[in-house]
Amino acid sequence: MAVLGNKKSKVSDEIPSSSMADIAFLLLIFFLVTTTFPKDKGLSLVLPEESEQIEVSQKNILHVIVNSDGRIVVRYGDSPQEQTVPADNLKSIWRQGVSENPNLIASVKTHPDASYRFMIDVLDALKAAGSDRISLGLLEV
Amino acid sequence: MSVRSGGLERKSKAATEIPSSSMADIAFLLLIFFMVSTVFRADKDRPIEFAGAEATEKMDEKQKDILNVWMESNGAVFINDLVRTMDEVSDAVYPQIVGNPNLVISIRSDRNVPYNYVDQLQKELVSAGALKVVFATELEKSMTRQRR
Repeated sequence: MAVLGNKKSKVSDEIPSSSMADIAFLLLIFFLVTTTFPKDKGLSLVLPEESEQIEVSQKNILHVIVNSDGRIVVRYGDSPQEQTVPADNLKSIWRQGVSENPNLIASVKTHPDASYRFMIDVLDALKAAGSDRISLGLLEV
Repeated sequence: MSVRSGGLERKSKAATEIPSSSMADIAFLLLIFFMVSTVFRADKDRPIEFAGAEATEKMDEKQKDILNVWMESNGAVFINDLVRTMDEVSDAVYPQIVGNPNLVISIRSDRNVPYNYVDQLQKELVSAGALKVVFATELEKSMTRQRR
């Protein structure tokens, strides 16, 4: 074995490239896994068309009024009886109302100065209760 | 090259291993392909705070079918990084809705904006023919709501 002039060292003088694929795949998989796409989320609603005006009988309407301080007032159709409720109670009110009258429509009227989040609280409660017949409007003051 | 084992050594010079030297190139090619083909959102995020909602649901629409309409707490409206007055909103949205009838408007409004502005925005969207809207919210658990 010991021939003069032969390289003693068995160490290869090339950079080992066999693991390069592993490194690249590792990077590839790392980025594939960690990339999170910004998923849009929210409460979806279909607005009525401009010309669309549907006459709804008062007895099918659940009036929900959002005041400027966030107070929520609920009134059934044409009955004069009003009650102030927290947003969470709206769910049970809607469920109860819709079981009595399947054609119930929630009419949410918000005070012009009320914070947007108060309206979202109401919309959220109605959506959470499974309502899809919601009308949004501005409270006339 | 001397014949050592009585001429019984394998004649074939073909390697028995799968060539792995090009594997790195393939992997990097894939890496670069995905880096280039990944599309990110077109417009920048505005510094606003979303309202929290329990019933928040994910939107299944593709990125190209979503138009973000931002509204800051002072009522300023931004569409595609451009500030718009309330009257300009329908003019800005109309060409987009004609180009893509499946367009969904994501109303990204600050939680403290007076509702008056949101109502005006809705009326502008309706007059532009954009009826499918999503009120962007942050998912909120019912536990955190009670603490608030």
